[in-house]
Amino acid sequence: MLTASEAERFLIQEARLLDERRFDEWEALFTDDAVYWVPMDPDRDPTDSVSIIYDDRKRLHERVYRLTRTPVLDQNPPSRTVRIVANVEVEPVDGTGEQRVRCNQLIAEMRPGGPGQAGLNSPRWLAARCEYRLRPVDGQWRIAFKKVVLLDSDQAQYNLSFIP
Amino acid sequence: MAITQATHGYEELVVDDPREFRVHGSIYTDPRIFEEEMHRIFERTWIYVGHESELPAPGDYKTVLVGRQPLIVSRHEDGRIYALYNRCRHRGAVVCREERGHSNFFRCRYHNWVYANNGALIGMAQASGYPEDLDRSRYSLVPAARLESYRGLLFVNLSYDGPSLAEHLEPVRKYVDYWLGRSPSERIQVILPPHRYEYPGNWKLQAENGFDGYHGNYVHLSWQRVLQLSRESTVEEVQQYRQEGCVRGLRNGHGLLERPGSLNPASSWTARMMHRYPEYAEAMRKRFSDAELVEISARRNIFVFPNLYLFDTHIRVIVPKAVDRTEVQLYVYALEDVPEAINRSRYRGHERFYGPAGFGAPDDIEVFTEMQTGLQATGDPWNLLNRGQHRERVVDGEVIGHTTDEAPQRSFYREWRRVMSQA
Ligand code: FES
Ligand SMILES: [Fe+2]
Repeated sequence: MLTASEAERFLIQEARLLDERRFDEWEALFTDDAVYWVPMDPDRDPTDSVSIIYDDRKRLHERVYRLTRTPVLDQNPPSRTVRIVANVEVEPVDGTGEQRVRCNQLIAEMRPGGPGQAGLNSPRWLAARCEYRLRPVDGQWRIAFKKVVLLDSDQAQYNLSFIP
Repeated sequence: MAITQATHGYEELVVDDPREFRVHGSIYTDPRIFEEEMHRIFERTWIYVGHESELPAPGDYKTVLVGRQPLIVSRHEDGRIYALYNRCRHRGAVVCREERGHSNFFRCRYHNWVYANNGALIGMAQASGYPEDLDRSRYSLVPAARLESYRGLLFVNLSYDGPSLAEHLEPVRKYVDYWLGRSPSERIQVILPPHRYEYPGNWKLQAENGFDGYHGNYVHLSWQRVLQLSRESTVEEVQQYRQEGCVRGLRNGHGLLERPGSLNPASSWTARMMHRYPEYAEAMRKRFSDAELVEISARRNIFVFPNLYLFDTHIRVIVPKAVDRTEVQLYVYALEDVPEAINRSRYRGHERFYGPAGFGAPDDIEVFTEMQTGLQATGDPWNLLNRGQHRERVVDGEVIGHTTDEAPQRSFYREWRRVMSQA
């Protein structure tokens, strides 16, 4: 139903939307019941613990709205990101028509600013294992679930508001 | 202490002028002052190291830094909690590398000395290399000078001198009690792991921000717009709310920001939850009088000198790492004996505002980095903390100010100056 190279093409397009800050188009990739999860501990039930991000569709919309339409400080100046998607694997989810897609991502992030500005001007690298569930909706693959487990998910993080 | 000869007179760095209270910018940027803070504040005042609910069973432990000293906080089989320096008595290796866990003993990996959870030396490899009458009790892991709990909040003091924990907490104690009172059994359970964020700035920038009622309409305008989007409240309503209540500067460096309490479900979270969940209302009414419920329902950001905040969703620990690097840990907790739905909505509400990807906290962090950069400019090296000095009033030893005033910051820096000035 979905080959690894088709999945990879989908993920690369998703990464491009984020890198180009086309957040509205990125948001439109998600199904109405989607969950976007960035855990600190992926083995805990997110309902009864606390995550870095645990968005339902409404909260995801708030996140994009905040980034794009409010006077946000921590994304002004905005992040530049470069994302690399690799190690893509696909397996069907039994009896649902959905596909489970796993991949690794490397995200380089930097915010530019004037000389000497603390927190700006130096790139940082985030490595993550990701898992998606993709669902066919009207002939298009959409994201029903996205999980991003950072290599250092349980360590102290500087702002992650650019959408990891 | 070698560095007590530093050139700083702390009397001059915190100027308690009745019209222009101010602090010198070097307290945020000078590495020598940071060194002295580690010794004079973090190694000889009461420092929060965790909540008892993090160590429910014998054998449970966590490791912490107090100032820059590694410690183990451990529950022994006798049920008691011990705070031990994480340093093998043989040649100084740590005896525990984990952040937290469960173990029946701590084993040093260098030459295999083994310690019980209370620090007692219970095993030495190839012991024939020592005299038979060696007194092993002399080589226990060294306990911190003092470890005390206030209602489950565990504090360590690396010095035998100075006030007891009860004396230290006395000015803030009743607010801690009200804070616990949102649970009808007055108990909380810490939910692990904590949110952790780090920023390139001094630790006091976070300390002076948590009870700052002045910045909200500017730094958090973005947050107010999100609330308006979801039709929870308009920007005007939030800005009105931010005018209500007061700040309190307390003795011993404590302080708080307070929104008024109410039994009206429209005006306080606690009353709203009691309205929505009758079983919660019943349990709360059984335990507390109406007057107490009004106090309990007041929303407060409570600061405990030098680096602890008690918020409505979390316990916040400020961990200084360097003069310009700070980690902040947010330990979200469950209120015990309340409906599950209340706690779950508290977790979701917390995630929405706080943490490295919340809709509010990253805006605060951003400002801390802006301050750390700006403070490098020393044309006029003074930061003003004089807002509301002309209109504050003193009631029962508390300095009470308008919700946007800097009374708690002044309390903090008066205590900072006092502690730092003690040789
Ligand atoms: S240093 Fe610990 S046993 Fe030698
Ligand atoms: Fe804030």
